Amino acid sequence: MRFTTLIAKNVLHRPVRTALTALGLAIAISAVIVLVGISWNFERGFLAIYRSKGIDLILVRAGSTNQLSSSLDEGIETRLRKLDGVADVAPTLVDTVAFEDKNLAAVLVDGWRGGSLLFRGVRILEGRMLDPRDRDAILLGRILSLNLGAHSGEKLDVAGRTFQVVGVFESDSLFENGALIMPIETLQTMMGRENQVTGFVIKARSAETRDLDALRKRVEQAFPGTAASPARDYVTGDTQIRLSRAMAGTTALVAFFLGGVGMLNTMLMAIFERTRELGLLRAVGWRRRRVILLVLGESFALALVGSLLGCLLAVIGLRVLTLFPTAAGFIDPNLPPEVMPLALLMGVGLSLLGGTYPAIRAASLDPIQALRHE
Amino acid sequence: MSDAPAARPPLLEANGLAKFYADGNVQALRGVSIAVAPGEFLAITGPSGCGKSTLLHLLGGLDRPTEGEVRFRNQPLVGLDLDRYRAREVGFVFQSFHLLPTLSALENVQIPMFEGPIPRSQREPLASELLAEVGLSTRIRHRPAQLSIGERQRVAVARALANSPSLLLADEPTGNLDSKSQDEIIALLARLRGERGLTMVIVTHSPEVARAADRRFALKDGLAVDVSS
Ligand SMILES: Nc1ncnc2c1ncn2[C@@H]1O[C@H](COP(=O)(O)OP(=O)(O)O)[C@@H](O)[C@H]1O
Ligand SMILES: [Mg+2]
Repeated sequence: MRFTTLIAKNVLHRPVRTALTALGLAIAISAVIVLVGISWNFERGFLAIYRSKGIDLILVRAGSTNQLSSSLDEGIETRLRKLDGVADVAPTLVDTVAFEDKNLAAVLVDGWRGGSLLFRGVRILEGRMLDPRDRDAILLGRILSLNLGAHSGEKLDVAGRTFQVVGVFESDSLFENGALIMPIETLQTMMGRENQVTGFVIKARSAETRDLDALRKRVEQAFPGTAASPARDYVTGDTQIRLSRAMAGTTALVAFFLGGVGMLNTMLMAIFERTRELGLLRAVGWRRRRVILLVLGESFALALVGSLLGCLLAVIGLRVLTLFPTAAGFIDPNLPPEVMPLALLMGVGLSLLGGTYPAIRAASLDPIQALRHE
Repeated sequence: MSDAPAARPPLLEANGLAKFYADGNVQALRGVSIAVAPGEFLAITGPSGCGKSTLLHLLGGLDRPTEGEVRFRNQPLVGLDLDRYRAREVGFVFQSFHLLPTLSALENVQIPMFEGPIPRSQREPLASELLAEVGLSTRIRHRPAQLSIGERQRVAVARALANSPSLLLADEPTGNLDSKSQDEIIALLARLRGERGLTMVIVTHSPEVARAADRRFALKDGLAVDVSS
């Protein structure tokens, strides 16, 4: 008989308890990987915006950690274009609006200039692109169009102003799919921020790290009070991204400990009711180390089942979650594949968290007392 | 019938063993000295609560004496790796069998082998042989609950032999058995001893078991008295 056979027999001996414990672990693990997966996807979605448009640097006001809080003078664009190493530049103004009647609390509004490099990766599904001469025209992201039930050719009220929906688009980025795009001049007027922009996106002539670094310094020197960051740094430094990370991290930690307590409870029960058996093992010469391995092996087996089941639950759960319109706008229904090893790692962590104390307790039983135990 | 212990160096020796239990100031043993020659069969008798189990636990390395010492092959037990001693040198048989309920007879017998010298591939065939040796070759896949009381104790005996120990310690091995099963276990132990040259120390209430032994000790007032003659 293999040692693993013994472990499996002990675990399978109580099928109901094993199933319930594994289910509890699976729920904890799936909660963690869904949250972490969403947070990673969120980050990736942001990065995808910049990557698909070939954006290398993002220029905002120094010290602003969030697109919404930055403000720059639109007039610096001409000088920015002339800087050595700059291939293209586009201004961008960002705001959020609510569509209360549709239960959408914060829809991203992108103010772009018609024909700018920001429109790369934006594919028109119905209607047409924004034209540089458009004023009261908007494009709706695919998911926003779905949630609003609005289509090209229709009129739509946005923050008290009536617009013509000229098209519906799809983008590589989930966030843009939930957003609307309008001419930057119109958004400036609506926000009372004439000649102001949130920032500029810059496409460099060379995307080599060294060249980018040099360009970054040149830009910041030319325009004091601005900060130019590579897209990746900009994304990871963003407050919303950091918030989403922190929330996922904290909730994951709580779920992890709850799972650990469940495991601890099951394993303690398992060793209490098997006190005599454990005493027998020690009496026939089993070393403490082997008893520890047995108990940890059992908790690991439970965690393994929990991990696999947890992955399954997460995949299904996320699909179900994205059936709701509000979630569909910014949650990718596909988990990043890297969360699967995370689930296994969590399983190992849970088996140690919940199994160590029972294992040590089992190993330190006095064999004679344990054999007498009723 | 038996040589004097001095004639051959003893396999197992107890010198002035005393055991106090802290709670209740129980003095279970007060100075027990016995020597067991290789191949000898020793029976220990005495009323319930006189310290027989305590003595057996001390001999088997399951507990440590308050005073005195146990020597195995002239080595003091305190200097030995007790896990190893229990796994390889001692086979234990208990009154209440202590088989693992989830495992088959075949698997139960293999339990001590995890700490023994037998390579894994040979464990199952060996366990199967041991079960045949105790007359259970047709019951090897049965779990304890599917076996009769007498059969359970035979599985326990096979398990005690798993790592081919030199010493078999049994604590009232027939205490839970009907008289037919008791006779079978006595015959089995006698045969195993003959075939394997086992040294046996058996605690018993049964006159039949005691009669089969080479020497008989009675525990009285915490001391062991030779009552063989
Ligand atoms: N762990 C213990 N703590 C306290 N007293 C004990 C313990 N084990 C045994 N005793 C006491 O020691 C005496 C001898 O017990 P035991 O060796 O089991 O006797 P026997 O096996 O002869 O019936 C008894 O009085 C018993 O109550
Ligand atoms: Mg007893």
